[in-house]
Amino acid sequence: MQILTQLVFSGIALGMIYAVIAFGYQLTFSTSDTLNFGQGDALMLGALVGLTLVGLGVNYWLMIPLVCLFGALQGAFVERIGVRPAIKIKSEFGWIMSTIALGIIFKNVAENVWGRDDLKFPSPLPEAPLKFLGANVLPMEILVVVGALAMMLAVELFNRRSIYGRAVVATFNDRDAAKLMGINTGLVITFSYALSSLTAAFAGVLIAPLTLTGATMGAVLGLKAFAVAIIGGLTSGMGIVVGGIILGIAETTTGFYLSTGYKDVPGLVLLLIVLALKPAGLFGKTAIKKV
Amino acid sequence: MKFSVRWMGASVLAMASLGAQAADPIKIGVSGPFTGGSSSMGVSMRDGVRLAAQEINAAGGVLGRQIQLVERDDEAKNERGVQIAQELINREKVAATVGFINTGVALAAQRFYQDAKIPVMNNVATGSVITQQFKDAPDNYVFRNAAHDSIQAPMIVEEAVGRRGFKKVAILADSTNYGQLGRADLEKALELKGIKPVAVEKFNIKDVDMTAQLLKAKEAGAEAILTYGIGPELAQIANGMTKLGWKVPMIGSWTLSMANYIDNAGPGGEGARMPQTFIQEPTTPKRQSFIVSYLKTFNPKNSRIDSPVSAAQGYDSIYLLAAAIKQAGSTEGPKVKAALEDLKTPVEGVVTTYNKPFSKADHEAITANIPVFGEVKGQRVVYAYPEDFKKASEVRVKDVNAKGALTQKK
Repeated sequence: MQILTQLVFSGIALGMIYAVIAFGYQLTFSTSDTLNFGQGDALMLGALVGLTLVGLGVNYWLMIPLVCLFGALQGAFVERIGVRPAIKIKSEFGWIMSTIALGIIFKNVAENVWGRDDLKFPSPLPEAPLKFLGANVLPMEILVVVGALAMMLAVELFNRRSIYGRAVVATFNDRDAAKLMGINTGLVITFSYALSSLTAAFAGVLIAPLTLTGATMGAVLGLKAFAVAIIGGLTSGMGIVVGGIILGIAETTTGFYLSTGYKDVPGLVLLLIVLALKPAGLFGKTAIKKV
Repeated sequence: MKFSVRWMGASVLAMASLGAQAADPIKIGVSGPFTGGSSSMGVSMRDGVRLAAQEINAAGGVLGRQIQLVERDDEAKNERGVQIAQELINREKVAATVGFINTGVALAAQRFYQDAKIPVMNNVATGSVITQQFKDAPDNYVFRNAAHDSIQAPMIVEEAVGRRGFKKVAILADSTNYGQLGRADLEKALELKGIKPVAVEKFNIKDVDMTAQLLKAKEAGAEAILTYGIGPELAQIANGMTKLGWKVPMIGSWTLSMANYIDNAGPGGEGARMPQTFIQEPTTPKRQSFIVSYLKTFNPKNSRIDSPVSAAQGYDSIYLLAAAIKQAGSTEGPKVKAALEDLKTPVEGVVTTYNKPFSKADHEAITANIPVFGEVKGQRVVYAYPEDFKKASEVRVKDVNAKGALTQKK
């Protein structure tokens, strides 16, 4: 029982890492029907910029808003350079290549700026584990879960309560109608990209003390997060959290009960099952596309 | 096009270190990962190689010619290693190549040197099969001056089972060539002791969560963890143990001495033990002068060589090649190879004094009696046993009769 608790806790922490990145996918998808495939690299950039700031003597907690600001600018840049032209010409797929390309460029730049070695991110919290229900949890893991949930809640509240948020939702529901209603949909989409990279950068500094920091850290995490977004449903914030936790727990338990060699398999099998049975994701709404 | 730019940069560097009198220099290739997870080994190796080449050139070179290093970053990728091998052979026309940190890269790339009849000196990669790859060919151009896994694995097992009396051990190895070949060697060595590991677990490069692997080892009652992996993931193992609040000794291959293990694991990484051919202590005049000039030339962080073993072996590999070229009186591959197999004069290196290090049938310079145990203590690697430290000034020379740690002790 104690083992299972431990596995579940570790799975939740791991899953929340995936979820917080997946959340960024959902943000841009919900406004513009596009995804930033460079989401993993936005996370990596956030973590490395954070590391540099901490290295310059900036306090960890003070560094977070600075990194968020950097993330927002980076996201807006991606949207302007890579996505907007594709949307303008109503290209179905141009944004796929351009976001991937920008991601690769960011990775290469980071390799040249920070090197290709893995670096240690100093933990702001004590590294000694806490006992909880008979299992060990690192304070940093709790921070990741709480921080991720808080951030997602904040974004959801913003979307539901504020007038700007309503503009976002309206843009999601029908971009052309929203435009006719006087909403600057272009700005809304830029905003959603900025927000999604902001969440990724935030996720980066949040998880960096647990993982190692380096130019290649985004690749695997970004891909797993994408699986989470598909499993949970690209239209549901709730689904993202559940999907993340499912994938995280699936990985740790398979590693223990089956074999550590097959750790990555169940998540992908799950992805295939979800795609076959409920393509919109576990919590996703099936979109009706009129043609 | 980023490759060619880097190549140009590396050649410019190599030439700059050489000075102006580059009339018909002897080109020696250097292939290793200078970036990425294995880079602390690759960069230390390269710096050791540079230091040796500088010293030789300052003393007038070999055969009156200067040594020119042609350095290439193989990024620990097999396909890059293959490209580099072809470039060094066909375009740069190197006389020999030193390097290879990663067993997989060595196995993929050295066949080109074998075909071109150019000697290649593995100075870091430890996979047991490396020197055996062409053992059936009439001539074998693959040499090595590193402690291969068939030496290391029995040493690790002897340390865990023989010296420290652990009966239940778990193996954690990464899923690369290096990890899996090492795991097989460890299992073989354990079998000789009549022990079956209680858990054998795998992990991937870049894995961030080791909970499942560690819990399996813990549940199986492991008293020690034997590792085969590289720095960053080994650090995640140590960090995972801290998290689970479960601390058992980590004993593993020499990679536990990598700076990116020691730095990333922090206090949780203390006490890890690994076989080492060289520990950064000035125990002989040769070692002292090596350490002093290395620290002066490259000025590493905290006066700690990132990977002392790689630096020392890299340094020695150039002196071995230089001695062979001198004896052969030529840079032709077959002649240099023949000279390496029959070195007339001993070569005083940092790791050991190489007295007849190679023969036609034996291309391994390091035998089981040479490595000692190192331990991570105070963020650096020190001698694990005081008696080894006391005797460190006696140079351990090659002993082909050393049958390995297991049979030696029993």
